[in-house]
Amino acid sequence: MQQKTALHVHKPVGTYRYVQIILGVFFSAYLLWRLYVVLIAHPAYGPDTWLRFTIDGVVLGSVYALIAIGYTLVYGILFMINFAHGDVMMLGAFGGYFVFEALGAYKVSSSLSFLNAYPVISVILAFLAGMAVSSTAGYFLEKIAYRPLRGAPRLVPLISAVGASIFLENAAQLLFSTQRWDYTNPAVLNRGAGWNIHVGQGTVVVTYTGVLTIVVSVLIMIGLYLLVKRTRLGRAMRAVAENKSTAALMGVDVDGIISRTFIISGVLAGAAGVMWGIHLGLVYYYVGFIPGIKAFTAAVLGGIGSIPGAMLGGLFLGVVESLGPAVLGISFQLKDVIAFSILVLVLVFRPTGILGEVLSEEKV
Amino acid sequence: MKRPITVFSVLAIASMFLFACSPARSVRSGPAVCKSDSVGCALIKSGQTIKIGMGAPMTGDNAAFGTDISQAAIMAMADAGAFQGFKFELVAQDDGGSAEGGASVANKLVSDPTVVAIEGHIFSGATVAAIPIYEKASLPMLSPSATNATLTTTGSKVFNRNVFTDAIQGKFAASYLYNTLKIKNLAIMHDGAAYGQGLAQTVNDIFKQLGGNVVAFQAITPGESDYSAVLADIASKKPDAIFFGGYTAEAAVLVNQMGQSGLTGVTFFSDDGIYGVDFLTRTKQNGTGAYSTSPVPAPSDASKKFDAAYLAKYGKAPGSLSPYTYTAYDAGAVLVKAIESVAVLGDDGNLYIPRGALIAAVRATKDYQGLSGTITCDSTGECSASGPTFYKDDGTQWVAVGTGS
Repeated sequence: MQQKTALHVHKPVGTYRYVQIILGVFFSAYLLWRLYVVLIAHPAYGPDTWLRFTIDGVVLGSVYALIAIGYTLVYGILFMINFAHGDVMMLGAFGGYFVFEALGAYKVSSSLSFLNAYPVISVILAFLAGMAVSSTAGYFLEKIAYRPLRGAPRLVPLISAVGASIFLENAAQLLFSTQRWDYTNPAVLNRGAGWNIHVGQGTVVVTYTGVLTIVVSVLIMIGLYLLVKRTRLGRAMRAVAENKSTAALMGVDVDGIISRTFIISGVLAGAAGVMWGIHLGLVYYYVGFIPGIKAFTAAVLGGIGSIPGAMLGGLFLGVVESLGPAVLGISFQLKDVIAFSILVLVLVFRPTGILGEVLSEEKV
Repeated sequence: MKRPITVFSVLAIASMFLFACSPARSVRSGPAVCKSDSVGCALIKSGQTIKIGMGAPMTGDNAAFGTDISQAAIMAMADAGAFQGFKFELVAQDDGGSAEGGASVANKLVSDPTVVAIEGHIFSGATVAAIPIYEKASLPMLSPSATNATLTTTGSKVFNRNVFTDAIQGKFAASYLYNTLKIKNLAIMHDGAAYGQGLAQTVNDIFKQLGGNVVAFQAITPGESDYSAVLADIASKKPDAIFFGGYTAEAAVLVNQMGQSGLTGVTFFSDDGIYGVDFLTRTKQNGTGAYSTSPVPAPSDASKKFDAAYLAKYGKAPGSLSPYTYTAYDAGAVLVKAIESVAVLGDDGNLYIPRGALIAAVRATKDYQGLSGTITCDSTGECSASGPTFYKDDGTQWVAVGTGS
């Protein structure tokens, strides 16, 4: 029954082990020293600013987490990185954008548009549209770009994914031009509006859109957890992830499950896209690229293939990006450097990611 | 594998001979000026047009600049009418705004002997590459938009521009912030690109010289949708105003996120990269009270007339594509005027334009009343009509509030 024969059991030997220890001690000491400097010795910011950084980080992190789950689901089943995932998110963001535009133009009375008269319904419709667009895109992406390559060496679908990503970006550029489109939210969800909290000497705005983002993200993650752990579909997905041929012998429709996995990851990406639009307000053909790369990083950080790992990795990355430059006292332009340095460090110390397991022989 | 290379080199050498044998660029025959001129005359045969070349980005991300500037220049040529029966024609070539494109367009334009002057190039990078080629071919240049400060410091005889440099813009902006808006604590941000960073650095230096206090100097990564972390950092420094060196894409995001980052009531001040309707439509009420800088002067009767004509011809308001519509029109008009002042109609009915005299005539431009103000060139080729004009966003449009002084 010992299926998971550990292949590279990570017990580094000799000099490599010492390098790890030295690096670890060095980075921990540096981090502690920086924390001491910015918090006690020369407090650079008041508590209000720290709170602001944290809120921004958590909001951004919850979007990353949703996208990261999409990467991790597909990786868990096909062992490939779906690099077009960020662009699937972009399509979802456009879906939500057009729903808001249409509802904003539809007048229920002389001065009131549908968007402002029924904001809750409008937001739900936008999410549904975004999810529908993205899951359709995910379904066809798998059908066209990945299914014909089932069984090919692992590098081949990876290249196909990069190609699909470029194709989707250019298609969006042709459809929607290079212009940056702004989400028009319902008036109650105005970006920047929110609850004012007095902290220290300042006032921190907890935006409605930020809270909406976190709440929706958490709800979707709970839903996904239940789906994977409690339903037949979830059990079939886990079976396919474990071993495709055995799952097929047990009567699981492997191709169908793979299709459905892409649809689910599309739903998550679509929700993330609409959240991105509502909270940050910007959508254009290239909008999925950076969140896509960040979410991929988050997925690797948390342990690719692990769903709780992707959630944790996303949140961690969002918070680090927003707190990192402040703690290290460097330019905010370098936040990506911090994010990717942490990725390198995690890969050095825990090559499987924070919550990752040792890969089974077959997966390797 | 060797044969194609041989064939290619033979072709390459043959083409060099072909270029060498192309029709003479300048003639010494005809009127007396052509014999005495330092270069010789451009010969425009009767029935041909007098061509003014332009190198501009006509495709790609920055196509709006090339489209707008060439349209304004075409209007200037049309308004000039015919001179001694010869019409003016703009030959706009796509240089993509890049150095390589600039050089290849310049080579193409100098190979046409009826091209007598160049309006452009449009981007500084392309202009740098093009100047030596026009210098060799003795074609005068007048750029309505190349703002890089070093272009006029190399001692080029042919290069002129009627737009103020980034350094001048930065200087005026800093003094306007300090003297007119009475800002004491300024936070400076830029997008890390040559234009934005250079401008931010100038503002930083001048503002400190004036006695102001720069509380933060931060770079952002262009193209992102979320700058709330860097804005929160700046908010903790309690500035009275933010100066941003960069373009609309990032400025709109910054302005939209200022409120939620604790920067309510802080003045947002930026450069000519954000002037235009795009910023207004993308920031709506968040942008109200923001300042921008522009080479576009406050409206006058002449500019209103031009606005109407431009709108009627191209269906877009001038300034909606680029801020250089007016300088582009003026550059075209100045070149036409300089050509008219030196061109001589020969006895054979052909037009002779002495190239050496034309270069001198462009640089000698003095007190020309253009849409962008009074244009006078100095000995280095700086012909800027005036300093920048500052505009304030009143919620629906940019309102001129003052000029640099």
